[in-house]
Amino acid sequence: MSQRSGLPFWPRHAFWQGVALTIVAYVLFDWGIPALRFVGIPSAPVPNSVVVEFMFIALIGIFMYVSENEARWAEFKQPIQSALVNRDKKWLRSSLLVVLPLFVGFMTFESTRPRVTADIQPRSIHPAPPTSITFRNKTIQLAGLENPLRKQGNLEDHMKEGRRVYYQNCLPCHGDLLDGKGHFGLGFSPTPLAFDGGNLPLLTESFVFWRVAKGGPGLPKEGTPWNSAMPVWEDFLTEDEIWSVIIFLYDQAGFKPRAWEAEGKEAAHE
Amino acid sequence: MNRATAGRYGGKAAGVIFGAALLLTGFPADRLSAQDVQRGKVVYDKWCMGCHGETGLGDGPAAKFMLPPPRDFTGAKYQIRTTASGELPADADIERVVAEGMPGTAMPEWKSKLSGAEQKDVVAYVKSLSTFFEGAQPPAVVAFGKAPGGGADAIADGGKTFEKLECFKCHGMSGRGNGKSSPTLKDDWDFPIRAANLSQNWNFNGGGAVEDIYRRMRTGLDGTPMPSFSDALDAKVITDEQLWHVAQYVRSLSPEESPPAVREVIRAAPVAQGAALPAGPDDSTWSRAEPSFIPMVGQIIAKPRWFAPSVTGIWVQSMHDGNKLAVRVSWDDGSKSPDPAWDEWMARLVKSVTDADGALTPAQGPDRFWVQFPKRVTDEAERPYFLGGNTRRPVYLWRWASTPDASEEGTGTGLGRFAALSGASEMTHAASFTDGRWHVQFTRALVPADTTASPTFGVGRAIPIAFFAGDGSNGETGARGAVSAWYAIYLDVPTPPTVYVMPLVAVLLTAGLGLVVVWRAQQQNRKS
Repeated sequence: MSQRSGLPFWPRHAFWQGVALTIVAYVLFDWGIPALRFVGIPSAPVPNSVVVEFMFIALIGIFMYVSENEARWAEFKQPIQSALVNRDKKWLRSSLLVVLPLFVGFMTFESTRPRVTADIQPRSIHPAPPTSITFRNKTIQLAGLENPLRKQGNLEDHMKEGRRVYYQNCLPCHGDLLDGKGHFGLGFSPTPLAFDGGNLPLLTESFVFWRVAKGGPGLPKEGTPWNSAMPVWEDFLTEDEIWSVIIFLYDQAGFKPRAWEAEGKEAAHE
Repeated sequence: MNRATAGRYGGKAAGVIFGAALLLTGFPADRLSAQDVQRGKVVYDKWCMGCHGETGLGDGPAAKFMLPPPRDFTGAKYQIRTTASGELPADADIERVVAEGMPGTAMPEWKSKLSGAEQKDVVAYVKSLSTFFEGAQPPAVVAFGKAPGGGADAIADGGKTFEKLECFKCHGMSGRGNGKSSPTLKDDWDFPIRAANLSQNWNFNGGGAVEDIYRRMRTGLDGTPMPSFSDALDAKVITDEQLWHVAQYVRSLSPEESPPAVREVIRAAPVAQGAALPAGPDDSTWSRAEPSFIPMVGQIIAKPRWFAPSVTGIWVQSMHDGNKLAVRVSWDDGSKSPDPAWDEWMARLVKSVTDADGALTPAQGPDRFWVQFPKRVTDEAERPYFLGGNTRRPVYLWRWASTPDASEEGTGTGLGRFAALSGASEMTHAASFTDGRWHVQFTRALVPADTTASPTFGVGRAIPIAFFAGDGSNGETGARGAVSAWYAIYLDVPTPPTVYVMPLVAVLLTAGLGLVVVWRAQQQNRKS
């Protein structure tokens, strides 16, 4: 026990310091790092194997700290020693001998018991678009492409036409509320895209045109395991119908499409 | 009913003129301020018009792309009310439908999109689309009372009253919506309408709780063939308690867990040592296999699309004995198709659903069911295209049809592109149709004779599986029908003993080590 200051004994006691530091380190790795995103720093949950690795390093440091001199090392060992031999610690000793093996047994069971899971289906949300597509035998350059209907005819008419197209074709999956929860939506996997989230403003209208025209089967290689139920709309809709439903969609969701960068009109998607 | 005809024909003009007059003059109808109506019109035009139409006739562009169709507001007929049959709804009734939506239809809940004020405004506007609310007094709300205690006796009593009131005529003896008159049912606008399938209460338009069911029986569903039973109470044909018991009985026809949870993985349990796989779809052994619910939706991806599927969900069970896999699928269907009784239904259906992707004929086909697997089960993340596969990644299919009762196995390279395997089918099937429910059992060896032509069903791994269902009395032929996404079937292995041995070894080792440490420490302590 520490006689070195007026502080209560345990904050200076090597054993309790070691225990406290171990707990602090674990909390930091397992919860602290993922929580950084709440203060605006990008982060993600730390995989268990990495937590184990970090804890190993932390424990080395902690052991060095509690054994920096003979006195502290003796102080560190003292409570352990006392728990192992002292007559008045018999109850603590016995319960540790029961609880610790049971805990280890439980952890072993958790890691060996069979779990039934379907294979994880990776998905890429915004696959890179091609520079050009063939739409009903006509080549359309996507790079730099603007919605042609925004510069021709009456916007109100396009909107009305787009509403018709949406309600007759897109509604069953993407829903009245644009939330991807139409009355057929939940029958598909992955579930249909919600338009009221943050996706639309990140996309140019030409990107949306490509995704609508070519649907799930037209996804590039990195998007294929996705198994999207999005139909190939060029089989159903004309070019103008697709452009008008895009106008309707942005208006209904209250977003503006992403503009092409002014110079060079290079592909805006990485 | 006069309101229907007036609504459909006269109400159109009247509704528009009245609505316009309201906007122009600010005419203050009871509790209906012009400002509310005007604000409500903005909400309506943005969110409701696509289905319910510009003037509320239920004729928006989406009207023929769903069944049941959107409500015609001009007739002021509302199914879900707390007012007596034939009465106008209370404002709160319409507000509830807007906020909560109508399960089993395309009407979604709006409370997550519209503010409380917007919901009230849009209700004010919807009312202004009908002349029937003009100057009308607020209708009286029915006093419903409280449910008496339930329990097995109450349910049994409810079952008797169910028969006495002849509910089975439309809903069927087992309540699967397959009663004798179900194919003749139409609403007041001559759209075909299904008697509710009472074993799927999550699809009840007005909610699936006992209280909801009781209310529907008291008020009827106006505009539909579902009558009110308040008269039967007044005439003392039945007591109020008996009617509550009917509600409790009806609730008992659906699973406790409603809607049933949808899980990714269907478990195929091994049969007990020495026991045999079920011999057929009605074998009592099936009651021991855990059923998985798989939602089904219209095939609206490839031409011709189908917007009015009859099968909205199936139950799948599976077992294996180490040599063979048996899969039983069960689903509700009003008839064994083709069935001449359903000609009347078909005639109405073809008038109600879009033919945008090709002509609809009233001709009926057989009922069909397909089970789909990847042609080859691999460790790759990429599965075949869920809708019938493609040439690059084909699927392996079990296809069954009801009339004649036959099945085949083969390879699919796209919806409708099917090639039967050569030689005798290794898959066998047996089907049964009982009171509005199909059970079809498919059986095949885990390892096929030719492992390059069809997949091996290995134990201890998740194998992709998908489904297609077609109701021949509902216009579902060819690609028209209901589909599912990919799910997985997992052939359980008996739990290996290591799962229990390893933790035991770990416990003993740790305890032994602990004892040694303690013993050594005490030895040393004694010495010092």
